Amino acid sequence: MLPVTLRRLLASTVCTAGLVLATAAPALATNKTDDGDDPGPGLSVIETLLWFVVLPAGLFVVIAILATLPSMSRGPRYRPGLGWWAAPVWFNGPDDADSAVRTATATTGGGGASARW
Amino acid sequence: MPAGEAFSERQQQDVVRAIRLAQQQSQLPVSVYVGTLEGDSRATALQLHGALGDDAPQTVLVAVDPGARRVEVVTGSEVRRRLDDRAAGLAAMTMTSAFQAGDLSGGIASGVLALAEHAHAPRSLHTDTP
Repeated sequence: MLPVTLRRLLASTVCTAGLVLATAAPALATNKTDDGDDPGPGLSVIETLLWFVVLPAGLFVVIAILATLPSMSRGPRYRPGLGWWAAPVWFNGPDDADSAVRTATATTGGGGASARW
Repeated sequence: MPAGEAFSERQQQDVVRAIRLAQQQSQLPVSVYVGTLEGDSRATALQLHGALGDDAPQTVLVAVDPGARRVEVVTGSEVRRRLDDRAAGLAAMTMTSAFQAGDLSGGIASGVLALAEHAHAPRSLHTDTP
């Protein structure tokens, strides 16, 4: 038994294809040309694939890349609630932070404030 | 989450500029730590403040843990006289309101400037008496 999502996808694909074929049937049924029609030479299989599959897919890829490029070049950005990934940064801190922190004694008699968001 | 730098070049410059302004305008040395504060965040922040060594009593440490969403402002025993806990709390709130919107570097910069704004000029002998 296929998963429900896959079955639905299959069913909707078949239905859509059927509907398209059904509405296009009159056009497919006849080979006669109307007055004034001037059909050129047909497309070969390769040409058809090129124009109707490769070209749209290529455009899709190019536009997708153009859309994601700015955020990709900026790198990951902080978003509240999605955790933190970067190495610690200390502006105006001790030169050798690791050993300084290990050997330090915690400040007493200071003040300050805490907050969370 | 992918590994990466905490700040871009420009964001880093913003923070550095704010720290420099605080030093120039209010003679307030500010140190900013951005990273995880393991265990009890207040205790860790006090330990980091202690690591500043001889400068610690005059220095304000702003410790931000973006993962745990905590910010700790630690004022040294001397600088506390001109930067009271209420002013530190106000600066912390300035920062958290920016952090909520996802602006880490902007929040830090405006928080540092808020601290500088509230720090009174250090009292100097003879110059402020007519």
